[in-house]
Amino acid sequence: MGLDFTESEFMICQCARLMEDGKIVFIGYGMPQVAAILAQRLHAPRMVQVYEFGAVGSLPETPFVRFTMGGPRNCYRSLAWTNMNTIFAQAQLGMVDLGVLGATQIDRFGNVNSTMLGADYKHPEKRFPGSGGANEVLTQCWRTVIVIRHERRRFVKKVDFVTSPGYLDGSREARERAGIPRGTGPWRVVTSKALYGFDDHSRQMTLLGVLRGLTIDDVLKGMEFTPLVGEKVEQLEPPTQEELRILREEIDPARAIIGETARD
Amino acid sequence: MDVLQAGVGEFTVEDPDDLRAFMRTEKRREMVDKVMPEAEAVRRYVKDGDYISFDFSSFTRGPASLIREIIRQRRQNLWFAAKFTLMESTLLVAAGCLRGIDVGFLGLGNLIGKAVEEGRIKVTEWTNGTLTLRHLAGAMGVPFLPSRNLLATDTLTYSGAKVVQDPFTGRPIALVPAVNPDVGLVHVHQCDIYGNARCFGPGVSPLETAMASKRTIISTEEIITTDDIRKEPSKTTIPYYLVDAVVYAPFGCLPGGAQGVYEMDTEHFLEYMAASGDEPKMAAYLEKYIYSVASHEEFLEKRVGVAKLLDLKRQATIKEGYH
Repeated sequence: MGLDFTESEFMICQCARLMEDGKIVFIGYGMPQVAAILAQRLHAPRMVQVYEFGAVGSLPETPFVRFTMGGPRNCYRSLAWTNMNTIFAQAQLGMVDLGVLGATQIDRFGNVNSTMLGADYKHPEKRFPGSGGANEVLTQCWRTVIVIRHERRRFVKKVDFVTSPGYLDGSREARERAGIPRGTGPWRVVTSKALYGFDDHSRQMTLLGVLRGLTIDDVLKGMEFTPLVGEKVEQLEPPTQEELRILREEIDPARAIIGETARD
Repeated sequence: MDVLQAGVGEFTVEDPDDLRAFMRTEKRREMVDKVMPEAEAVRRYVKDGDYISFDFSSFTRGPASLIREIIRQRRQNLWFAAKFTLMESTLLVAAGCLRGIDVGFLGLGNLIGKAVEEGRIKVTEWTNGTLTLRHLAGAMGVPFLPSRNLLATDTLTYSGAKVVQDPFTGRPIALVPAVNPDVGLVHVHQCDIYGNARCFGPGVSPLETAMASKRTIISTEEIITTDDIRKEPSKTTIPYYLVDAVVYAPFGCLPGGAQGVYEMDTEHFLEYMAASGDEPKMAAYLEKYIYSVASHEEFLEKRVGVAKLLDLKRQATIKEGYH
């Protein structure tokens, strides 16, 4: 990666670019929060952010403060303050267009692990916090974006634990058969090097774009499985000067989420 | 209804009629002054082996001082509902208070992860949403509620949920069992001496937690008159008869914030994060902030200090909506 921007900045910008104006978007903790503020300042002023503790349509105050989520700065000027049962019910009702989540591990069908590593659940090699609200988001939102660092240990053939459901075994209508709402599922995977979607038929992860300057091989090397490669793989633009200015000057001057560039 | 799949996680269910009988005999209908010192509230209502639930977040409007008092009184074998208890679940584990955790979000820091890896603590998997839905079921006095979450995941396998064929649509649906905590802990902005309480801002489930719990302890930033409560009843979040104890605990959310009153203490959280992966540092943290002070008042006086309190109040510049 070049010296001009951090991996986190690129992931945040990609994520923000996928957030459409006028949509209702479920925002996860950390990077998705920063991406949502960026999107609102650039192209999506009418996007409605919703949070699992019930804030609807907030216009977060900046600078972004580390740890803040349910507090006054992040919930500033909301349209409504509800609670967890209400907001997850609204997601279950089909009101949430997009969800944005982080993850520890992902497999070719978009199944997500944020619970544990190791072959034996009873004796995990490494235990993580678990679902939080991720299972609800990936189950109920019409589309879900998963944000994950581009590392081989994260893009695995089979996740050690399915915390939140992707397209399961990839078979036709696997989600619907299990009782999961029809027409939902992982939509995009955003990494520090690439962008993926999912094939409509085989439900396999499909490479859609690579960061300008990288080759497809550069990207595939960082994965344990080989994804499908789209007919036309897009060159993903690095963060623009304007995106970086807003991130560094307005949203996260303390660089708690965006991180430091090597040049600093 | 055929059970298509049953999770293997440990959990307990309450007989709804036993619960009703408890509510009939144990929850006082008369308005009595329930204000008591924090130590007394915990001594009276939190027993070894209890199931404890907390609303809403370590960062915002969480009953942090009540958790510290539970640790100070060295309760043991508790089972804890962990959702936004990013810090408290780790403190309770490090202090040896817990037997098990219902996981929405386990907690931050490597120490709690290590306790699970080494089998020192039991966990049952849920999600933030389904654990909160279990509180709603508990609050409604029904044994379970249906959910379209959890399905087709390992989270479900290691939860206590069951998948059944919905008798109305024929489709698979998850049923999550009610939870009726022995003790619910809720921090509120204001309440009267009887427990009529107001929470401002968004939250997880203050009312569901108070309704579902057999005993509810509230800690409050401010005590107001019942006349004030009656003037604006639409502001009441929790009616008094659900509440067993009222603890006057200004700054009771620290190091978290109370919306519109004081901001969270970011420096303290960074200190906690540094301690949360290291046993000696965590032991020192527990000693410094909990065991070496006798009460919340002494914590404020000796471990936080007036200058910090005033600064955190000053930082709470956003007031709108929180009164």
